[in-house]
Amino acid sequence: MPEATDVAVRDLSRISGGASRETYRFVASWTQGGQARERKLILRRDPPASLIDTERRIEFEAYRAFHGTSVPAPEMLWLEEGDGPLDHPFFIAEEIVGFQAGPGLLWADPYLDTHARLAERKWTILGEIAKADPVANGLAAVMPAVAAGDCWNRELTYWEGVLNDDEAEPLPIIRAAIRWLRANPPPPAQKVGVVHGDYRTGNFLYDTEGQIHGILDWEMAHLGDPLEDLGWSLNPIWTFGRGLAGGLVPQDQAVAIWERASGLTADPAALHWWTLFNCVKGQAIWVSSARAWLDGGNREPIMVYPAWAMTNAQDRAALQVMGRL
Amino acid sequence: MIPSVPAVLMDLAGKVAANAAPHVNPVDRASALGLSALLMGLAAENWDSAAHHLVMENRAFRTLLARGAAYAPPPAEHAEDDFRLSALAAENGRLRAALITLQTAVEGRDEAMNDAIWAELRASTERRKTQGSAV
Repeated sequence: MPEATDVAVRDLSRISGGASRETYRFVASWTQGGQARERKLILRRDPPASLIDTERRIEFEAYRAFHGTSVPAPEMLWLEEGDGPLDHPFFIAEEIVGFQAGPGLLWADPYLDTHARLAERKWTILGEIAKADPVANGLAAVMPAVAAGDCWNRELTYWEGVLNDDEAEPLPIIRAAIRWLRANPPPPAQKVGVVHGDYRTGNFLYDTEGQIHGILDWEMAHLGDPLEDLGWSLNPIWTFGRGLAGGLVPQDQAVAIWERASGLTADPAALHWWTLFNCVKGQAIWVSSARAWLDGGNREPIMVYPAWAMTNAQDRAALQVMGRL
Repeated sequence: MIPSVPAVLMDLAGKVAANAAPHVNPVDRASALGLSALLMGLAAENWDSAAHHLVMENRAFRTLLARGAAYAPPPAEHAEDDFRLSALAAENGRLRAALITLQTAVEGRDEAMNDAIWAELRASTERRKTQGSAV
């Protein structure tokens, strides 16, 4: 904003949660062309140590690629990749105001009656992400390429490596799952598309009508098999104890919505592979959260919560997907 | 539970004390104290049964490892005379690592043994299950 003067920040407050980035809301005010202006904004800054290590430029570009499309995403405004101005890299985006993100509210009025509509929107938008052309929207230029036949191996190898590096206790269930995944690889991806990487109830802004106004948390976005995202959304850890996909609808209903919107097929065996893979990925994330705390890099209570509350539940999710629970 | 309960509680004690200061931003205070309360609740839920569960699990793992000795040599005997949670958890980690080696060896070779390992792993998650567990 080279023409802006009297730039000021007020009402800065941290938004709770967010173990992978520090998130703050604030109001920016400035004068431009003799007129006073202000805008509600979001600041997302890297923490000292995170439960996931990602490139904020890729996250920034993913938001930017989908903003203004059928996939609702907030407008990205500025990206700073250096440590100079605020000690860690950060970006600033518009704040989409007036909606909820936390899943806890969904299990009570006035949201109980919205679940079917919300599920329709949730998996339709995920289908739209799967349908997007990463060359046309520019993301193929910033995200590492992957061959259709190598999507599964690249992701499994990466997350197995995270487990190898970060686990603080041996994990027999997850190690057995990895052996099975390697012995029974899925078919090549129908297409190499944009994978959000963390598409679940809790990572979108919703209202009391079952509408979705913003898809959040793109920090794990990458190119890959679109079934990866569907499998993450069906990870039993995201049933919130309700036995429904995303806590909202039966799994077959969610899959049918996604197939209709994406124009792709969710082969049951391939989807089973990706759902189990996502149990491994989930456990790697929870383990990394504990590691960040143990190594002293990040002593925020939010880093302990996944380790304590999710690790055993993720083991049980893997057992369930493997038919062992 | 990893990180260990005493280490986390010690850290939370510092955070609670810091948030008692009058100048702390109310939104930041609410966030820090809300999460701290959640963690204290989880610690409380597990406190009474933690040692019992580890002892049970370690016994069950030793039995399985002895039964599978033909496939993978069990780890050296370890006198269970230290009942601090940290010692029990360290032994649990040693036995879990040995169990992974054993299960890798029996898969496709001894389904009865493999099923017995799966049964104990399932039972282990039942013991560790918390009240608000998603699964």
